[in-house]
Amino acid sequence: MSTHAHAAAIDPHDDPTTTTGIPNKKLIMWTFLASDCMFFGCLISTHLIYRLHPAPGALVAKNVFSIELTSFSTFILLMSSLMMALAVDAIQKGNLKSMRGALATTIFFGLIFLGCQVYEFSHFVSEKHMTITNSMLGTTFFTLTGTHGLHVLIGVIWLTSMLIYSYTGRLTEKNAIDVEMMGLYWHFVDIVWIVIFTAVYLLEYVS
Amino acid sequence: MADAIAKPSLLTKDEPAQPKALVLYRPTAKTGLISWLTTVDHKRIGFLYGISALFFFLVGGLEALFIRIQLFRPNNTFLTAQQYNEMFTMHATTMIFLAIMPLSAAFFNFIMPLQIGARDVAFPRLNAFSYWVFLAGAIILNVGWFMKDGAPNGGWFGYTPLTTSTYIPGHSIDLWVMGLQLLGVASIAASLNFIVTIINLRAPGMTMMRLPVFTWMTLVTAFLIVLAFPAITIALVELMMDRLFGTNFFEVSNGGMPTLWIHLFWVFGHPEVYILILPGMGIISEILPTFARKPLFGYPIVVFSGACIGFLGFGVWSHHMFTTGLGTVATAAFAVTTMAIAVPTGVKIFNWIGTIWGGHLRMRTPMMFALGFIWLFMIGGFSGIMHAAAPADAEQHNSYFVVAHFHYVLIGGSLFALLAGIHYWFPLMFGRKVSEFWGKLSFWTIFVGFNVTFFPMHFLGLDGMPRRTFTYDPNMGWNDGNRVATIGAFILGIGVAIYFIVMIITYFKGEKTALDPWDARTLEWGIPTPCPEYNFRVTPTVHARDNWWYEKHHQEQIAKENAEHEKAESEHGIHMPFQSIYPFVAAVGILISGLSIGAIDPNIGFFSGAAAPHDVIGRKLGIVLIGFVIFLIGVYLWALEGNEGYHLHLDGDHGHDHDDHHHHS
Amino acid sequence: MRLLALPMFAASWLDRLGFGMDGRQTTMVVDGPVAEAQRQLFFVTCWVTLVIFILVASALAYATIKFKARSEEDEHAEPPEQSHGNPLVEVGLIGASVLALVIIAVPTLRYIWWDYDVPVERKGEAYEVTATGYQWWFQFQYPTEQIAGSGPLITANELVIPAGRPIHVNLRSVDVMHSFWVPKLAGKVDMIPNRGNFLWLQADHPGYFWGQCAEYCGDSHALMRFRVIALSPRDFEQWLDNQKSPAREVPVTAGQARAQFASLPLEYKEFPQNAPGVSDEFDVSPFDHWKEKQFPNKDEDAELISKGRQLFVAKTCAGCHTIRQADGKGPMGVTGPNLTHVGARTTIAGGLLENTPEQMRRWIHNPGVVKPGNKMWALGYVPNHITLEPSDEVALVAYLQSLK
Repeated sequence: MSTHAHAAAIDPHDDPTTTTGIPNKKLIMWTFLASDCMFFGCLISTHLIYRLHPAPGALVAKNVFSIELTSFSTFILLMSSLMMALAVDAIQKGNLKSMRGALATTIFFGLIFLGCQVYEFSHFVSEKHMTITNSMLGTTFFTLTGTHGLHVLIGVIWLTSMLIYSYTGRLTEKNAIDVEMMGLYWHFVDIVWIVIFTAVYLLEYVS
Repeated sequence: MADAIAKPSLLTKDEPAQPKALVLYRPTAKTGLISWLTTVDHKRIGFLYGISALFFFLVGGLEALFIRIQLFRPNNTFLTAQQYNEMFTMHATTMIFLAIMPLSAAFFNFIMPLQIGARDVAFPRLNAFSYWVFLAGAIILNVGWFMKDGAPNGGWFGYTPLTTSTYIPGHSIDLWVMGLQLLGVASIAASLNFIVTIINLRAPGMTMMRLPVFTWMTLVTAFLIVLAFPAITIALVELMMDRLFGTNFFEVSNGGMPTLWIHLFWVFGHPEVYILILPGMGIISEILPTFARKPLFGYPIVVFSGACIGFLGFGVWSHHMFTTGLGTVATAAFAVTTMAIAVPTGVKIFNWIGTIWGGHLRMRTPMMFALGFIWLFMIGGFSGIMHAAAPADAEQHNSYFVVAHFHYVLIGGSLFALLAGIHYWFPLMFGRKVSEFWGKLSFWTIFVGFNVTFFPMHFLGLDGMPRRTFTYDPNMGWNDGNRVATIGAFILGIGVAIYFIVMIITYFKGEKTALDPWDARTLEWGIPTPCPEYNFRVTPTVHARDNWWYEKHHQEQIAKENAEHEKAESEHGIHMPFQSIYPFVAAVGILISGLSIGAIDPNIGFFSGAAAPHDVIGRKLGIVLIGFVIFLIGVYLWALEGNEGYHLHLDGDHGHDHDDHHHHS
Repeated sequence: MRLLALPMFAASWLDRLGFGMDGRQTTMVVDGPVAEAQRQLFFVTCWVTLVIFILVASALAYATIKFKARSEEDEHAEPPEQSHGNPLVEVGLIGASVLALVIIAVPTLRYIWWDYDVPVERKGEAYEVTATGYQWWFQFQYPTEQIAGSGPLITANELVIPAGRPIHVNLRSVDVMHSFWVPKLAGKVDMIPNRGNFLWLQADHPGYFWGQCAEYCGDSHALMRFRVIALSPRDFEQWLDNQKSPAREVPVTAGQARAQFASLPLEYKEFPQNAPGVSDEFDVSPFDHWKEKQFPNKDEDAELISKGRQLFVAKTCAGCHTIRQADGKGPMGVTGPNLTHVGARTTIAGGLLENTPEQMRRWIHNPGVVKPGNKMWALGYVPNHITLEPSDEVALVAYLQSLK
């Protein structure tokens, strides 16, 4: 049963209290991510459908986007995934100290990504005159990337509380599964961004 | 529900108990209001789902009767156009989301963990949260009846642009949007829990191919919910943003496309049909073997066809859109997939007949409802195949033919199965059973009333009567069909009333039953009634598909096995999760936020007085924030208190009750 | 013969109960190739499923009766053999189901392509119209019938088509989703904003057909009806000529008898809420009524009509309705139905009311009661504070009735 989970550290690859050996938390996260895929799938579809059927006089995405900035923030988010993987690896080996370092870097990279997004949004609104209400592109773009940004924000808050609890003693090597579960979420958010970056930004520059 | 026969003992944590903040002490009430608000027991949560669902079932039924009264004669004035539109919108929304789905969820909660030999679901507090959020969504959906703008009136499908603020301003649609989003959250959270439970909490020996079919269908349904609800949730978020923030998703003048909504809606909407019927099929697959006294015919193929329906269910949504101008190729593709999905559905019917073939049928009330299910579901299935022929569907679509079809599937199918399930598991839940006479009387009244109501609708549809029309002219040839249907609806209503009254009387005064009164086959029948909080004294070991049947026929082996296991388990005791109030607190926060986004007009009620537009928004935002903060506090404390529990050590003495004194870790 | 007695008895009862399915909008008695194809396909599905139903239901009924426990003894007998299924039976039944579905699938696929658009070989003789959905009425445009100085011929709520020719109907909507459905001529196709749908249909014979919006479109969805009138080619040409001409005018000549408008007293007779708008007499022969409607009324009061014409402008009707006049001036509103030849239609108010002076007065007396939520009331009468004296109503009706 799940409630056994905290009694002892769970081997992430074999939890004797469950039928399959997969920890419950890991399984529910995977299932949730499957569901989240559908959420993002619908938002991305909405964006692409309206991109392919623009109303007359619609904004031209290429004139709005700044690919350099977004490429940079994409790279940063990718690196944060690497740091997240290191954090999971560290705590699974019982190395709390190096986990803290990796977590802090992940948070830092996540914040850089969010900062880039805040800058990008305000730039689009004030310089490019694209708002969420004045155009279909604005509507779908801000909703989609905003939803993704919200996921990153929740991740950053989650990671930060983990980092704090690793100092107060609530989070120890026994909680490797919690960090791993968080890692799954973080990697997913990262992968979704790669899809969004490709579908929303890169496709605009094809041909 | 029973209190645990518990000898409380210490803890789960290794470290010594530390003093902690007051808010982190866990509630221990086993009776009274607090015990219900803080319960994490899957059986109690199942009971809450069941009671709520039956309440909303009566509300939805009342709405249906109002609809039928209005249509009793041509040009009737019982309801105004707007009232009628509210009625059919809320009738569908209520029956689908607030009656059938939660009634299925009641069985998922109550029965499924018992069937797999588990002591609870994987995430008990998440389970409680799912219920409370469901209730919040249900309240928000229905609160419109008491408001100036009225109840939602955009149809349960909410096609844009009708549901945008240009065409239906005011709060009614906002409430609908908010309510459905919350129901989506609740359903997804509950389903994640069920999936993990079924995959991970099976008793030793309970392989996937030994799972009772009802549990299998729970699993398939849960996957459907997890993958289908995001589509409608996103559609609703987009519509909500259009209505509240002026975005353009469905704003036609800015290039918005109504077809996007239709697609998103039915990408959810068709799997939803299977979300409604698969649990029913599961229940039928439990009842028939029990009363035929032989195993389900072709278990693997029944399971496989259930999964197959789940998969194909995602590939047929556009058959709801044959008249939207899909083009020939798409229409042909969806016509063919729709016909294809009839095959696994038909397979189930063949196997049910195979199950009763050669059996010794005991015609108890649950069996009557189960057989009624097969008959009516078959008719609904056949009219479904007729719709797959897209050109013919062009005439049937949005006519009363479709109304007849899906009521045969949803009442004749889902509801009959759920009513059968209530009768079937009533002895397990409450230790009493309905008298056969009254049970069968309610069955026949419902069966006759149902057919008298809905069979004429086939003819009305073929005679060109469109759905969702509040009136019709006397010269259209629809008078008699409608009159018969309305009379049928009242017979059906009387049947349902008998069913409910008998059920309530039985709860208090019904014939008491012993363990396993139906001579059933699956694990849940091995536990006493009222069901103990911990379900199984000893975690069962599963040897066969119908394990309880196996146990009954191998008593010596099982007794020996249990004695061994009990000894082993008694050392650490039965682990029980602590109760918690925070799922409820979080849901209250959501309710406040949701209501204020959807409904509270800052110009009325306690915010009376004229306010400038930005003040209005400011005040509204204020209440939303209050709700959000309550939600955050709930979730934070929920996380902080942790998923701790305590251990129970059972006495050998069954009849002895202990007070519960919990020692917190 | 005795074998047939039972089904015939059942059929007669169904008929008596009104399930004869010969109503105004029946899909069972049709008058065009598209509806006929759809009806045929329906029968294919009906027969195939009926045969399967009879087979499966017999098996179910047989098993239920045969294996039912009949006595206490039966109930407590040893359980039967605990058999788990029979793969051969399973596979056989799956094969049979697939086969049955193929029987349905083949004609389905054929008709999907066939009823999608006018067949290629008949494209040449096809006639094109554009139907547009409004809350809650239909506008019909004839893109091939251009009128000098005012664009295509536009009419409302009664679509007049040539019989025996395929009609390609473009489907548009200006507000919410609607659906165009004339059951006796063709299945429905939706009218969706920002989407260019179409369908084709054909009326084999001249006649009068009922249609109705089939997609929920708000408060008065149930009252959004229309008619299709199919005419012989010669009648159709004549009708077109009349429609293309400007609105009819009744000159006031000195010394004309000032007859009270024949059938309309000054005093307003209230109609009960939702009272039917069509008389039994009309119902017997609607097509003949339509033909009569093409001719000017007797006993016209030219002065009253002239007063009505002025009121039409004074009461802001002209803001929404067009009445195309010879001088190119006159009412040019486009929000509501074009009324240039409204007197020649058999129905008003979106096919809801018969076009009689009484019903027309009922409509303009209080449109909000007749058709809840309609724009003439909500965006016309209410914001503009329109009040009509009884004499105004009579004059307006006289004027509108004269527009043949």
